[in-house]
Amino acid sequence: MGWLSPEEWVVLGLSARVAVCCAAAVALPGIACGWLLARTRFPGKSLVDAVLHAPLVMPPVVTGYLLLRLLGRRGLLGALLYSHFGITMAFTWPAAVVASAVMGFPLMVRAVRIAIEMADPKLEAAARCLGAGPLRTFLTVTLPLARPGIITGLVLAFARSLGEFGATIVFAGNIQGETRTLPLAVYSYMQSPGGDAAALRLVLVSMLLSLGALIVSEVMSRRYARFERVVE
Amino acid sequence: MLQLTAELTRGAFHLQVDCRLSDPVTGIIGASGSGKTTLLHMIAGLVQPATGRIALDNEVLFDSGLGIAVPPHRRRLGLVFQDGRLFPHLSVAENLAYGERLLPPTERRFSPKAIIELLELESVLHQRPGQLSGGQAQRVAVGRALLASPRLLLLDEPLAALDWRLKQQIMPFLRRVRDVTRMPMLYVSHDSKEILDLTDRVVVLESGKVVGAGPVLDIIQDPRVLRQLRLQGLVNILPLTILSHDSAGGLTRLQLKSSTAEILGGPVIVSGPILNTLAGGEIHAMLRPEDIALAGSNLTGVSIQNQVRGRVVRLIHTPDRDMCVVDIGLPLVVEISPHGAKTLGLAAGRPIWCLFKSSALQYLGTSSR
Repeated sequence: MGWLSPEEWVVLGLSARVAVCCAAAVALPGIACGWLLARTRFPGKSLVDAVLHAPLVMPPVVTGYLLLRLLGRRGLLGALLYSHFGITMAFTWPAAVVASAVMGFPLMVRAVRIAIEMADPKLEAAARCLGAGPLRTFLTVTLPLARPGIITGLVLAFARSLGEFGATIVFAGNIQGETRTLPLAVYSYMQSPGGDAAALRLVLVSMLLSLGALIVSEVMSRRYARFERVVE
Repeated sequence: MLQLTAELTRGAFHLQVDCRLSDPVTGIIGASGSGKTTLLHMIAGLVQPATGRIALDNEVLFDSGLGIAVPPHRRRLGLVFQDGRLFPHLSVAENLAYGERLLPPTERRFSPKAIIELLELESVLHQRPGQLSGGQAQRVAVGRALLASPRLLLLDEPLAALDWRLKQQIMPFLRRVRDVTRMPMLYVSHDSKEILDLTDRVVVLESGKVVGAGPVLDIIQDPRVLRQLRLQGLVNILPLTILSHDSAGGLTRLQLKSSTAEILGGPVIVSGPILNTLAGGEIHAMLRPEDIALAGSNLTGVSIQNQVRGRVVRLIHTPDRDMCVVDIGLPLVVEISPHGAKTLGLAAGRPIWCLFKSSALQYLGTSSR
């Protein structure tokens, strides 16, 4: 415990909390959007696809700026939140969750969409003929078959959140103990005299966390790979 | 009883059927692309006809006029697919239980134990579908469909992906399912042998149209039916009881199971290739119409082991071959040249001898345990 200062522990705890919340926040909407894109046709589908993927290609700072204009206290939705519920989102840790969730969402949707596209619709037809309704078929056949992709998507969103910088600093700020996640802390220590050692320590922690996430996702997809090869 | 009127056009393919099926087991025979699978999928609800009406035992499943289309999961029909379609993420036991679990206990017709025993699946229960052989997988697929307690079992070329040897291993299981569960079945295949081994009631499809429906020997006179049946391998299926083995002579003696054989003067005994099943067992054998010769009298001094006396029932002329149905205790279809038919002076009612080598009998797997 001694090799990180209390302040650095706070950074680490906050980052972990934001990343876990981010993965949790993208889970259900990500599965829903992935399924919509994989299995349905509707007018304007390519437009929806483009909007969902925009955060991947836009500069993160732009995403953060748009979030601020939308959810800031004077933003389109933010003003409503404030006047009706007294909620201010910008420059709080939930804002960091929202910023990284928006950045990680396209990664989740992509992974889920590919996984659902690979789940054989013929197996769904088989489930229907055995008496399962559409929802049960989705829950008992489609979703388990897409599980490796869902896990990959969640890990990607988690990792994206750990590394998210641009959108977070614009929308959530860089407030010690509130929104200063790992990358923001590394940047801040680098800017302050004598902060090099602390920056290095947090860089190492970041690398360890990212590698850990990668290993966890590998192990989990390998666990399910044994039946994946049967789905030809 | 299944009542089926349906029309569907897909590109150049046009399906138009109108039939009533009331036999416990009906086979649907047709070349690939004749619409057999589409027909089954329409009954199961996976494909909707453009217009038509499908009713099972007076319950309407589909009616384009009334705007009724019961979704597949509420039809209570079992469909066994050509490719098995077992759920790869579930064990064999979980696959078997999938449909059963969705039913209230009072509506479950079979106990899992009975079906597992019937299809001999005890040893693979804890395996994943990926670890099964093709034959095992199809047995699991049949068991899974049965345990969902369907009102009608639809089998869509369940053996097409298997080789001849494996088919022979599965056929007895299907006969067992037919006899033990008394489940009504609709069996689709492009291979007449499989169907005729299960039932003689068939529907013959050609390019999306029903060209014949009923007992094979009643509809065989229609040239379109005969053409399709010959294309898909028309065979005689003989139910036999094993009498004795002559290993030195390389022969097994078998008795034809028949209700009318006695009338024609004693049981019909035939010789087939040597078999390593105990005497007393029952077996089905296949005999191709083109492997049988006809003679006006009993021949001596020939190596042909089987000379069976019968009576001509019917003669069917086609442009190239004649088909002669001979009653030897059961109706036997014999294919001969028009010239041969003329020389023999074949006519209905005439006594005749059917000649076939012992090796012409091909066993189809034992039908008893």
